[in-house]
Amino acid sequence: MLDIVDPRPAADPTDTAGSFDPPTAGLAIRGLTVRYGGPERAPTVWSVDLTLEPGKILGLAGESGCGKSTTAKAAIGFRQGSETVTGRSLLAGTDVLALDPLARRALWGNRVSYVSQSASLALNPAMTVGRQLAQPLRRHRGLSGAALKRRMLELFTLVDIPDPAVALKKYPFQFSGGQQQRVALAIALCCEPEVLILDEPTTGLDVTTQARISALLRSIVDRTRIAVLYVSHNLALLANLADSLAVMYAGQIVEQGPTPVVLARPRHPYTKILLGLSPRLEDPRLVPGIPGLPPAGAVLDDCSFAPRCPYAEAACCGAAVPARRFPGGVEARCHRAEALAGGGPSPVALSRVAIPDADPLLIVDQVELHYRGAPRPSVDKVSFKLKTGERIGIVGESGSGKSSVLKMISGLVAPTAGYMRFGDTRLDALAVDRPRWLCRDIQLVFQNPDASLNPRHTIRQILMRPLVLFHGKLPASERERRVRESLERVRLPAAFADRMPQELSGGQRQRVAIARAFLASPKLLLCDEVTSALDVSVQAAVLETIAEISADAGVAVVFVSHDLAVVRTIADRILVMRNGQVVEAQDADGLFTNPQEPYTRDLIAAVPTFDLA
Amino acid sequence: MSLVLAERPIADRVPMWRLVLAARDGRVGVALTGASLLLILVGPMLAPFDPTAVNLAPSNQPPSMVHLLGTDHLGRDVFSRFLWGGQSILMIPLMAVVLTYLTAGLLSLVAAYKGGWFDLVVSRFFELLMSLPALLKILILVAAFGPSTPVLVAAIALTNAPGASRVIRGAVLGETQADYVQAAQARGEAALSVVTREILPNILGPVSVDFALRITWGIIALSTLSFLGLGVQPPQADWGLMIQEARSSLQKAPLVAIVPAIAIASLSIGLNLTADAVVRQFTGRTGAASGHGA
Repeated sequence: MLDIVDPRPAADPTDTAGSFDPPTAGLAIRGLTVRYGGPERAPTVWSVDLTLEPGKILGLAGESGCGKSTTAKAAIGFRQGSETVTGRSLLAGTDVLALDPLARRALWGNRVSYVSQSASLALNPAMTVGRQLAQPLRRHRGLSGAALKRRMLELFTLVDIPDPAVALKKYPFQFSGGQQQRVALAIALCCEPEVLILDEPTTGLDVTTQARISALLRSIVDRTRIAVLYVSHNLALLANLADSLAVMYAGQIVEQGPTPVVLARPRHPYTKILLGLSPRLEDPRLVPGIPGLPPAGAVLDDCSFAPRCPYAEAACCGAAVPARRFPGGVEARCHRAEALAGGGPSPVALSRVAIPDADPLLIVDQVELHYRGAPRPSVDKVSFKLKTGERIGIVGESGSGKSSVLKMISGLVAPTAGYMRFGDTRLDALAVDRPRWLCRDIQLVFQNPDASLNPRHTIRQILMRPLVLFHGKLPASERERRVRESLERVRLPAAFADRMPQELSGGQRQRVAIARAFLASPKLLLCDEVTSALDVSVQAAVLETIAEISADAGVAVVFVSHDLAVVRTIADRILVMRNGQVVEAQDADGLFTNPQEPYTRDLIAAVPTFDLA
Repeated sequence: MSLVLAERPIADRVPMWRLVLAARDGRVGVALTGASLLLILVGPMLAPFDPTAVNLAPSNQPPSMVHLLGTDHLGRDVFSRFLWGGQSILMIPLMAVVLTYLTAGLLSLVAAYKGGWFDLVVSRFFELLMSLPALLKILILVAAFGPSTPVLVAAIALTNAPGASRVIRGAVLGETQADYVQAAQARGEAALSVVTREILPNILGPVSVDFALRITWGIIALSTLSFLGLGVQPPQADWGLMIQEARSSLQKAPLVAIVPAIAIASLSIGLNLTADAVVRQFTGRTGAASGHGA
């Protein structure tokens, strides 16, 4: 029977001041393998070795589906269902995976803590945050009364929540997303854990909030010497924050080492390409995405990246690639590590058209949207003009009103004041009441391709709809031809017409949504965060598709995104929105080289950047 | 909020009925429902006697080779009455629920999609209807118009209306916010087209489950009414009525009440279990569709 008692002396409830003693050990993960289903299925995570050191942040990067979250949860013995977990995860010499469930529960929230992506889902909406913070302190530390109160205030101060005494009595919904994540962090830190696992903790948050949380985390790690595993798909963020980096692909760690060394000379092609793929503020050009899709599980008898790798050669297939050591403490699974130094895919600029000096296609003049009962307008006197073929980017944080502008142009909501004109037509009616040609001319692509394609329709039915609505009586064969052609245009096989949306990946679905918009032959394309739900490897290809087709057809684009670097790649002109107002409007180049407004400068400064070798 | 969506491998298209049959409750439910339906549909063809033929001489006989389940207090063959007795108990609730969906269901569908004052009036009306106890509504109707089949259908339909209206309204409101519905609206699609093409196929799942459960409820309500003497009227053969008639001679001939009771139970339990298994498939599917980090 294993010892389930916390080996450390229980905290003296009367002495909680100056409470963060440096923990001594970290977490050593050795040969961690996770399988769903029987041994015939490829493992989801295969033979992962990671070492979490006290006072250090280990960044675990990789695209969605590569097994990062599964690794993070499995490492602390968190079971999700039917999976088989093998390997060891040593916490101060004790294998967490060998403990019985009761002993594991005694560790969680106590010596090992976990913070999930969405604090708004992780916090109980029906309980004040104070009660939620008190629970682990009561359970693991036996605190109560004044000592408990003092400790809770101390923790809220630690995570920089203003007015802690009042904040403790509030419910989660009374906090902003960033503050909710701070509360979750305070709960995770309350028992002075030795190990903290953060699973995409800032992914849903604005870039300025993300920067503040990262800074807070760094200072906490420096002060408390806690060992942190930080899981994120955002390599730029990890490059700035983590002491060492581990890159995961198809369930395996393909490269790991100290952050500066990995950034200076990536030894695995996937790392190299991933680093190049992140859109950069300094450079509006994009590295083309990686062709193909990652395998569903670990590939054990080839290099798993070989089918998509520009450097692959015959030797890469036929045997598992062992991890090799390189100078500077880097390990990578690649035969061709030496060949990576030069070459590789180089960045290209997205296709553009010369903007004719003509009358504007779209005029938005002093437009306002004020929902009844809201304290301030969602959109406050926004004005801009757009010419045929021009691309305008609108950036801003969540709640800035950028998506509402698109909704008004597309006729999903009616503005409460102001004036919009498209060509010679006033745009004051809702879409249902607009003439059909106007609905055809203005097309909208949504953020989440999971939601914008009806799950009960085949891709063919989805793509047929604009043809039926906007192109009159076409013969069936002509419609079919156009559907196939449009699929090929967005670089999908024509055979996809028979599939259901659920059978496509996120990037593929977004391409279908784009194909649907272009099948209407629009003059104006409205893009609402179209790449936010996509991985960086597909993001570039989706942007490329939009740019190419819109340039060919001379379609004007309004591109809304919270991601400044993405907007930079595609937009000719950029509007920065805040609290419903346009605070700055400039040429794309001018905005990044010479931002006029302090808010724009803050936004740009908050974007994590890193230098490529 | 931005989501990181998994690049999921292509899912196998498994037909719904297979998933339902894969679960134990699904198999039991389908078996019970199937057996009951078979009995109801084929039974009358196999009945050895006229279910309403009165023959006082051999009344309250125990089971024999001639009368497999014996005879009742009027000397009618219990087995024949049993084989005939399922039709009314299935058809009346079925017609009632279809009527509910054609009236209250359609009305709520339009109201929920249109919104505004029309939706307000329709939902308030159904809430008002809901505030009256179900049995009271039925009793008033039956007392006023007599216990004929159309009245029973209307009464059961009326008691189902508020609940069905809520289910439809909730499902439609959820769908109206979906991006693909907004995409259709932005395309300038007519309201009818948005409702039939975009919304209906997506609410069919929860609605069909609600449909099955309402039939179950209708079966129990009708049996209750027949037992109270307000439902199906003698001399018609009906499971609910048989239980009521057998009450006086329960000690002498218990089978006369027990056999139809078991039949009612297996039909409603079977429908319930099937609906449960189906609804789990729908919720399981939508749950799996939500995105999460790697």
